[in-house]
Amino acid sequence: MQIIHSDVLIIGGGLAGLRAGLAARKRGQEVIILSLVPPKRSHSAAAQGGMQASLGNSARGRGDNEDVHFEDTVRGSDWGNDQLVARMFAHTAPKAVRELAAWGVPWNRVQAGDHTAIIDGQPVTINEATAAHGLITARDFGGTKKWRTCYVSDGTGHAMLYAVSDQSIAAGIPVHERMEAVSLIHDGTRCHGAIVRNLMTGKLIAYVARATCIATGGFGRIYQSTTNAVINEGIGAAIALDTGVVPLANMEAVQFHPTAIFPAGILVTEGCRGDGGLLRDVDGHRFMPDYEPEKKELASRDVVSRRMEAHIKSGKGVRNRFGEHLWLDITLLGEQHINGKLREVKEICQHFLGIDPAHQWIPVRPAQHYSMGGIRTRPDGAAYGLDGLFSCGEAACWDLHGFNRLGGNSVAETVVSGMIVGEAMAEFCNSSAGELNVSTALIRDCWHRAADEFTTIAQSSGPENASHLMHEMQQTMSQKVGIVRHGPVLQSAVDTLKSLILRSRKIGLRRSQPGANPELVLAWRIRKMLKLALCVAEGALQRTESRGAHFREDYPQRNDAEWLKRTLAYWPDPQQTQPTLSYETLDVLTMELPPGWRGYGARDAIEHPDTGRRQAEVDVLRQQFASADRSTRQAALLDFSQQLPCHLRGDNERLGDAT
Amino acid sequence: MIPLFRHHTKASSQPRRLTLKILRYNPAELNAAPSFQAFEIDEADGMTLFIALNEIRATQDPSLQFDFVCRAGICGSCAMLVDGRPALACRTLTRDLSAQITLAPLPFFELIGDLSVNTGKWMRGTSERLQTWIHAVEPVSADILETPMAPELAEAIYELDRCIECGCCIAACGTAQMRPDFVGAVGLNKIARFRLDPRDQRSDDDFYELIGDDSGVFGCMSLLGCHDVCPKQLSLQTQIAFLRRKMARLGLN
Amino acid sequence: MSHSIDYTANPPMGPSVIPDAPALPTNNPISLPRKSRWPARLDLLQSLSGLLLALFLIAHMAFVSTILISQAAFYNVARFFEGAWLLGRPYPMLVSLVASAILALLMLHAWLAMRKFPAGFRQYRAFIAHKNRLHHGDTSLWWLQLWTGFLLFFLASIHLYDMLSQPELIGPYASADRVWSGGMWPLYLLLLFSVELHGGIGLYRLLVKWGLFGDKTRARLHLARHAFSAFFITLGLLTLLAYIDLGRSHAAQAGERYIPKAAAQTATH
Ligand SMILES: Cc1cc2nc3c(=O)[nH]c(=O)nc-3n(C[C@H](O)[C@H](O)[C@H](O)COP(=O)(O)OP(=O)(O)OC[C@H]3O[C@@H](n4cnc5c(N)ncnc54)[C@H](O)[C@@H]3O)c2cc1C
Ligand code: HEM
Ligand code: HEM
Ligand code: SF4
Ligand code: F3S
Ligand code: FES
Repeated sequence: MQIIHSDVLIIGGGLAGLRAGLAARKRGQEVIILSLVPPKRSHSAAAQGGMQASLGNSARGRGDNEDVHFEDTVRGSDWGNDQLVARMFAHTAPKAVRELAAWGVPWNRVQAGDHTAIIDGQPVTINEATAAHGLITARDFGGTKKWRTCYVSDGTGHAMLYAVSDQSIAAGIPVHERMEAVSLIHDGTRCHGAIVRNLMTGKLIAYVARATCIATGGFGRIYQSTTNAVINEGIGAAIALDTGVVPLANMEAVQFHPTAIFPAGILVTEGCRGDGGLLRDVDGHRFMPDYEPEKKELASRDVVSRRMEAHIKSGKGVRNRFGEHLWLDITLLGEQHINGKLREVKEICQHFLGIDPAHQWIPVRPAQHYSMGGIRTRPDGAAYGLDGLFSCGEAACWDLHGFNRLGGNSVAETVVSGMIVGEAMAEFCNSSAGELNVSTALIRDCWHRAADEFTTIAQSSGPENASHLMHEMQQTMSQKVGIVRHGPVLQSAVDTLKSLILRSRKIGLRRSQPGANPELVLAWRIRKMLKLALCVAEGALQRTESRGAHFREDYPQRNDAEWLKRTLAYWPDPQQTQPTLSYETLDVLTMELPPGWRGYGARDAIEHPDTGRRQAEVDVLRQQFASADRSTRQAALLDFSQQLPCHLRGDNERLGDAT
Repeated sequence: MIPLFRHHTKASSQPRRLTLKILRYNPAELNAAPSFQAFEIDEADGMTLFIALNEIRATQDPSLQFDFVCRAGICGSCAMLVDGRPALACRTLTRDLSAQITLAPLPFFELIGDLSVNTGKWMRGTSERLQTWIHAVEPVSADILETPMAPELAEAIYELDRCIECGCCIAACGTAQMRPDFVGAVGLNKIARFRLDPRDQRSDDDFYELIGDDSGVFGCMSLLGCHDVCPKQLSLQTQIAFLRRKMARLGLN
Repeated sequence: MSHSIDYTANPPMGPSVIPDAPALPTNNPISLPRKSRWPARLDLLQSLSGLLLALFLIAHMAFVSTILISQAAFYNVARFFEGAWLLGRPYPMLVSLVASAILALLMLHAWLAMRKFPAGFRQYRAFIAHKNRLHHGDTSLWWLQLWTGFLLFFLASIHLYDMLSQPELIGPYASADRVWSGGMWPLYLLLLFSVELHGGIGLYRLLVKWGLFGDKTRARLHLARHAFSAFFITLGLLTLLAYIDLGRSHAAQAGERYIPKAAAQTATH
């Protein structure tokens, strides 16, 4: 048995994992990063649209600051997020963008003078200030009051990932590629690292560390139609769930993106709509204003996706042999804009559809896009349930996004949480709790348990076929646990998934071969993925309200009175066929922004009894501190700065600040 | 407004029967030798090699190894030789190929098995060797306004930053086939990218240390395979020529 | 979930400074001996030698083809290079000098270019396999350039040795006799094709290599390359035919030197 030691073990080489690794490394910790693929191939590279940070440089972003960003994020989450975390995030995001700028990300810059933008289908002239020339500019994204999304053409994630990855190479952090964490080494209270399978040779290795961080991204592949990469199978979350003591939170909060190419599921960026693209139906009619007269195409993703599905249901979809879709029209943006700022979109259309989006409409339909849920952590990134286990990025439920994530807030979360959680891990390693006290017996035990899982499958001659099960699961999820949900349908999804779990225990391999063996990998993974699927379906079934991306036809109202709480899913016994759910209450009395109307969508939430009281308190505090400066006033409402590492606490300078 | 399908796809006609000849090799098997194996499948509308290979793996041979991640042409994982030419398999439509398709792993890189090669390891080595990160002298504060940059310059840098490290340029380079220590177009393009970036304070003398020899820019024989296969259509020819001029100039003093 | 992060152990609060990347041990230009500038110079020399050879060749073809105008024209050109117009009497030595200079240039160019040849059989095989797989124009062209270059090494050396050792034997009859009665025409034929192809490709490659035009012009450069080779091969073939023709009719008197006046007389025969 091979054992590899380090101070910090990071599972996942996407933006979140790499940034956390850098933070820990710069605090002197020895760091090893594991990744299924070379880190620059992680799915972070796919983020096209941009990263939110309230720099306020561009004309349409003028007046933006942490407060506006915070409020947009809370509204977007449908009050399902942790406001403390949202505050920490909004405060740190500008620093993260500026850090990335220093690391070489070629953010698009403000061009002083007049330029024309398409807003609401109309060309509008915007005048950029001379003083802002050359500073980082921003574009419009759904659900934000200001233009706040910093971008690099439509390769934002790519540019960010490459810059951060290059920094980690500069820092000499080893990334062990083509390695899959297959279980955590733990004794029920403390995590000591992970058992890892080498995907090239099939060998198992024990990685022992003081602090372990899961940054494995989303789990979109439990759905059939998804914008996620094929490696986004959620194994990181699943191995945390497997411990029995670490909960996955809000797994039912799944975001669907309105504009995925039909039927391939490849995303075309929200930037298309942000820059002025329109949605049209079978008659060429622009239908969004009918539903959302104010925000139209730029209402938040859950709203747009739901409206699109409803519109298709009403018979206005365009039919082709794969099913029904709608059109995304960006022809009005003009060839020059498309060739420059939306080039990836153009390439995708050319390569996968054979069309030119400057002249033809793009067939789109909503597809699974983002997992708000994940490993439940505290604001410093420490996972519930096991000491020494951390998580960040899309894999975690740090709970910035609640029940709906704003576009551009996710890549921002990866780097911001990486900065914070990396520091927290370094602190942990330096503290007495971070001492490494692990017996080789425990390591050997965990190793054998993992090895047994694989040999059992490899030797089984069961009748079930893993790729069939995968297909059935994905179909069930897309059809029954999708954008619009309904009690009985969810129940049948849960039943199907449970039977799939039983069947997955009887998977037999068609071939036996030494080495990597992709068939064995699939057979092993489907069993993990089914558990995640059940957490989603069961969570959705139990949550009898509609909030953010979770929409129940049979319970269309947001119900703060009963459901202002986070679902926690545990899987204590491996023989279980469904998760054990419990709930964690969100305390209205500590909220800086008490629940209210999101500014779009329905206005009929069932109020929480404490809301009125808290609102009154907040109003009083605001009055009391009316003459104080912005940060003092804010601190009186919700003090977050103690949660941040010292060097991240400073105020963010903006253009026009009196400094 | 309906997507224009290319001419040789008639929606009504019988789907073509495709034969995919795939190079098979599993290094974990004792005495294994690489050999071609043929698979047959029916073509579907809008079928890419990603779809075709996954179908083969799901229905015919579960042991087939290949690499896909984004399946959208942005991550660079799936480069392979399609009928002898390096290309991204995920965005290669079968309708653009004949009914006989030959697939082989990229040459030059370490072979993991079947169509899967270890580009990641090589790329990391290249990054370390060429120090492909911003070398700043002065530390910068993240609390204050960022240093301004001309909008056109930012766009020009991104233009070179778009490389996805797929390895196609290396696989298409005759020089690299002969000289394993050649940095290739991907490496040279990276140097050009950092050289253009004012945040990187390295001088031409510093860059010369990295690429000023026959395993660097002077090793390139202008074969231009790189330029012609790059899936991101980077202007590799221009960038290499530009660097050659800058580096050669140093030879004159 | 028992521990709690205590940031008091942190360094005192200050501005958020982005740490620059720690340098790798190799990243210290001062302590390292500076990398040799010779690779740069050799690369320049390779191109320069190729360019000079190509320019020489263009001029050379122009002079040699004056035989197409008239024997006298060629005669005058040949004498011109012996310097009689300047020095009062012909010095064939001058031609020897030029020929040795060109030979030296050729050897320099060959040596520089040979560094790019496949080193050993493994590399040779690797390149062939690559070329046959890729079916890529510019890659295959290099292969052609390599082989024509290889041929030139021998052919051009022989020819140059001829010119160097017998500089006085340049003239309408002497040249024609060498071509025909001396049996040199097969060599010239081969030399002609090799050098025009090699030179054409070489000049094209020079432009591409140093990026004298943008990367949108390649198709046009290829066209120019074809035109170059075609023009000079045609001109060369006509010239060679003229020498062969003259050589055949002069075969009986092979060895006789051309004298302008005598020529004028024979012409009136
Ligand atoms: C198409 C698309 C477009 C998007 N556009 C935007 C956008 O414009 N703006 C925005 O803010 N967000 C966007 N997002 C969301 C955002 O990109 C992701 O949420 C974010 O990049 C996730 O980063 P991450 O580091 O958490 O995970 P990832 O980048 O997915 O990285 C996960 C890493 O974990 C590794 N890994 C996984 N499992 C294991 C295992 N078991 N063992 C070892 N390693 C493992 C993987 O190899 C990988 O390196 C987009 C998402 C998609 C799908
Ligand atoms: C001794 C015989 C010769 C040999 C072995 C030879 C070989 C080569 C080779 C292999 C190259 C390619 C170099 C590279 O790709 O980097 C080359 C380039 C070139 N050759 Fe020659 N060559 C010979 C003679 C000539 C002659 C007579 C001419 C003149 C017409 C010529 C003109 C050129 C030119 C212009 C180039 C391009 C230079 C460059 O790429 O830098 N060569 N030669
Ligand atoms: C100073 C050097 C040179 C001199 C004086 C010279 C002179 C001549 C002369 C006089 C001829 C006519 C035939 C003959 O007399 O044999 C000739 C033919 C030729 N030379 Fe040269 N030459 C020189 C160098 C070269 C070089 C370097 C090359 C190419 C590598 C070259 C290629 C040819 C060819 C191809 C022909 C045949 C032309 C034809 O018949 O069309 N020569 N040269
Ligand atoms: S330069 Fe082009 S071909 Fe080469 S690795 Fe980058 S994207 Fe691929
Ligand atoms: S193919 Fe190779 S030789 Fe140079 S021009 Fe491209 S790197
Ligand atoms: S799978 Fe990402 S480029 Fe093909």
